[in-house]
Amino acid sequence: MLGGISGRHRSPVKGSSLEFAQYRKYVPGDDTRRLDWRTWGRTDRYYLKEFEADTNLRLCFIVDTSGSMNYGKEGGKTRLDYARSLAGTLAYLATNQGDAVGLMNTSPESAMKEIPAKRGPVHLKVLLDQIGIMEANGESELISTIHAAAEKIPQRALIVIVSDLLFEPEPLREALQHLRFRKHDVVLFHLLDREEIDFQFDRPTRFLDLEGGPSLLADPSLIQRRYREAVETYLGQIDEIVNQSALDYHRVMLDEPYDQVLARFLLGRNPKTARSAR
Amino acid sequence: MSFLQPILLIGLPLALLPVIIHLINQHRHRTVKWAAMMFLLDAKKLTKGIDRLRQFLILAMRVLAVAALIFAASRPLAGGFMAGAGGNADTILVLLDRSASMEEQNLETGESKRSSALAKISELLQKTSSRSEVVLIDSATLEPTKVTDLKLLESLPQAAATATGANVPALLQAGVDYLATNASGRTDIWIASDLRNDDWRTASGNWQSIRADLASNETVRLFLLTYEQRSPNNLAVSVTNVNRRRTPSGYELAMDLTIKRTSPSGENDDALNLPVEFTINGTRTLQSLTVAGDEFVRLGYTVKLGAGDERGWGRIDLPADNNPSDNQAYFVYDEPPVRKTIIVSDDQTTASTIATAASTPVDPSTRYEAKTISPGDSAQIPWDETALLIWQAAIPGEESAEAALLRQHLEKGRTLILLPPPDTNSSEGNALFGNQWDTWADRTNTPASASWWRTESGLLENTRNGTPLPVGKLRFFKTRSFSGELHPILKLEDETVVIAKVLTETKGSLYFWGTLPRTDHSTLATEGISFFIMTHRSLAEGANSVSKARMLDTGPSALVGKMEKIETSESESGLISVGLVPGAFKNESDAENQLLVALNRPVTEDNPETLNSGAIESLLEGVEYRRISDEVGSGSSLAAEIWRAFLVAMALALLAEAILCLPPRPETKPETKPI
Repeated sequence: MLGGISGRHRSPVKGSSLEFAQYRKYVPGDDTRRLDWRTWGRTDRYYLKEFEADTNLRLCFIVDTSGSMNYGKEGGKTRLDYARSLAGTLAYLATNQGDAVGLMNTSPESAMKEIPAKRGPVHLKVLLDQIGIMEANGESELISTIHAAAEKIPQRALIVIVSDLLFEPEPLREALQHLRFRKHDVVLFHLLDREEIDFQFDRPTRFLDLEGGPSLLADPSLIQRRYREAVETYLGQIDEIVNQSALDYHRVMLDEPYDQVLARFLLGRNPKTARSAR
Repeated sequence: MSFLQPILLIGLPLALLPVIIHLINQHRHRTVKWAAMMFLLDAKKLTKGIDRLRQFLILAMRVLAVAALIFAASRPLAGGFMAGAGGNADTILVLLDRSASMEEQNLETGESKRSSALAKISELLQKTSSRSEVVLIDSATLEPTKVTDLKLLESLPQAAATATGANVPALLQAGVDYLATNASGRTDIWIASDLRNDDWRTASGNWQSIRADLASNETVRLFLLTYEQRSPNNLAVSVTNVNRRRTPSGYELAMDLTIKRTSPSGENDDALNLPVEFTINGTRTLQSLTVAGDEFVRLGYTVKLGAGDERGWGRIDLPADNNPSDNQAYFVYDEPPVRKTIIVSDDQTTASTIATAASTPVDPSTRYEAKTISPGDSAQIPWDETALLIWQAAIPGEESAEAALLRQHLEKGRTLILLPPPDTNSSEGNALFGNQWDTWADRTNTPASASWWRTESGLLENTRNGTPLPVGKLRFFKTRSFSGELHPILKLEDETVVIAKVLTETKGSLYFWGTLPRTDHSTLATEGISFFIMTHRSLAEGANSVSKARMLDTGPSALVGKMEKIETSESESGLISVGLVPGAFKNESDAENQLLVALNRPVTEDNPETLNSGAIESLLEGVEYRRISDEVGSGSSLAAEIWRAFLVAMALALLAEAILCLPPRPETKPETKPI
């Protein structure tokens, strides 16, 4: 991670830390203090010993606050609650590591649409408060918010997107590529409910659009097959987009405990544990 | 459609249960907040055509399955009866044609048309109408008989074979009368008949009232069970005009012998050598006759009589064929009676003309007598000896003794001719059998001639060789009209009926002649051939009943008094319906006064012509009826239970529903990342 201060995150830049990175032949101009004299003694050649540079993290959350994020079992947690849990926990962890944390939500009606990334517990409180009070309504503005984030965030940052992605997937491809173009490290938490995928209803149901569209009365037994086909096609498109965009994609079912999801994510971020985590 | 358990059809609305459940299911939908509307909209768009049809078919299959189950449980019946019947009637009237022609058999099964019809109706009614009152009316007796046990319908004496003719309009009228006099409720009338033209009597005046009665009665349904097919190569024998004649060598019988031959195709070109058995007083002789064409007619066929056979009986037998009822003809013979004519008239001219004609012998071996009596001396009429009574006097009052004697004369089978009395030109007067004289018409200035006369039967029938009588030469100067229920025999150009036969239920014949054999009334006397023949035909009609050897048509009132069959086979003993079966009979008087009677089926029964559909339509115009054409020995049933078919239909419907409910085969797609 490319940070302004020394921290706990590996940086693409080699620096001073305890983590050995590689040997490199000496070229004129290199700091002679970094020559590995033991190697010179064995081989009679000059090598530099390079170490991973640890730096701080600029973490920015983009939380989808469209109406569809209000989806959830009656009396249970909504998709937005799940997103809050993920974002809040990660923000807390990052702040404790000394990382800067920022937040963007997609709701055009939100009073505080964007919180720039900063460090410190005071900022964390502000951010958590904002996460706690944000509400989901209206249609999704995620695409425009991603484009805006790509433009606004000046340095390489870890951008964590939490959304249900319930819109036509094609514009998402461009938005994610925009982020990648700006060298951001992108993590996408795709929140879905099993009911939305399996569509297990046993009698006619009136479906009320959480994003304010017209309601729809349907006999699930009549449309179940076509619905599942549509879901399958959609997920296929999402898979293709995330593969092309080379981002860290996590499809999360709402019935999964979020700590497991986070553990899987964090283990995946550690190079030493990434292989086993994935 | 008819059902054995129609009560279960109450459950038929249950067939709509799948639809109701579907609608309730649609109505009690739940509401959920939903995020993934994009998939729903996509699915909805794609689920419009085939899938909707599939769902509709699934629903239809479920409805069909339930309906089929209910129908099967109700035990439906199929057959010719099916389309018209709809549940049990309160009364079932079975009108059975018991005529001789109904005895045509299918030689393979031994069933006759009559027995086949009875068996099928019985089977049907046992299945469908076990709680209905079943009444049998047969054409021979026209008496209603309540059938208490349908299994015994075939074995009822009232349904047994007869050699009678049938009068179908009278049979139907008896049925209609039964309905009128009994609270029969909803009634099904079943007519079992072979549709013979002569039995259905299309010219009968009864048809109009029958049509009106049936058409106006909405609780009556009419079913015709018909057997119109003809037996192949059937032969029928009949004998008429049997006369004993004296010859130099003894006695001989002269008879008119007819053998009719029918085939389905109507083509009988090949000659047929036929062994015909003659039995006279129990002695059998076999003779070979050659039948070419459709009919063998031998007028005056003679058979020698042996010594001691001066009077007696005889029988002619043909070899067995499809119809056993027309293979025999019985005859009886005796010394020919005197053919006596009595003329009751004060008009000497008329009386002498008639007497001259009536006493002129036609057959030299028969004596003819004619006597004139004044109307005031009618007590002198020898009623027992009179074959023909000519009455030129006022018709006696209905309650008078003379009227009673006239009716009795007709009941005995004698002939009565009413000539116009020379009274005033008045239409008021007494009636006999509802018929009376009307007014005179004077045609002296423009004499009228006959424009139509009945040539196929009756007094003016063509001669035996088919030559018509010279009726057209007759001229009529004075005629007197008459009114009533009449069967016209001769009409003038202005449609005035001059000669007619009155339709009575008596054995004898009653004629109205609307003119006199006088030169100032007509040329009957001067152009005397027609008049002579009419007189002698009338006389011959009445003479048979005067004879001690009478040949009669079978019928319930054919035999009067205590008669016994001369030759009785074992199978007939105890089961003979008196007057309905053919045979030779005698009464128990002493030998000299013993009456011999030969009963034969009416010759009209040998006429194979049947009514076509158009004629039936015309006869029953305005009456809703259903016709079921059956064949003897066809083995088909009027009502077969078809619940199995409905169970199969239900199974097929459920199978179709299951197939329609199967999930579609998943399309092969490239592997995607598991969810």
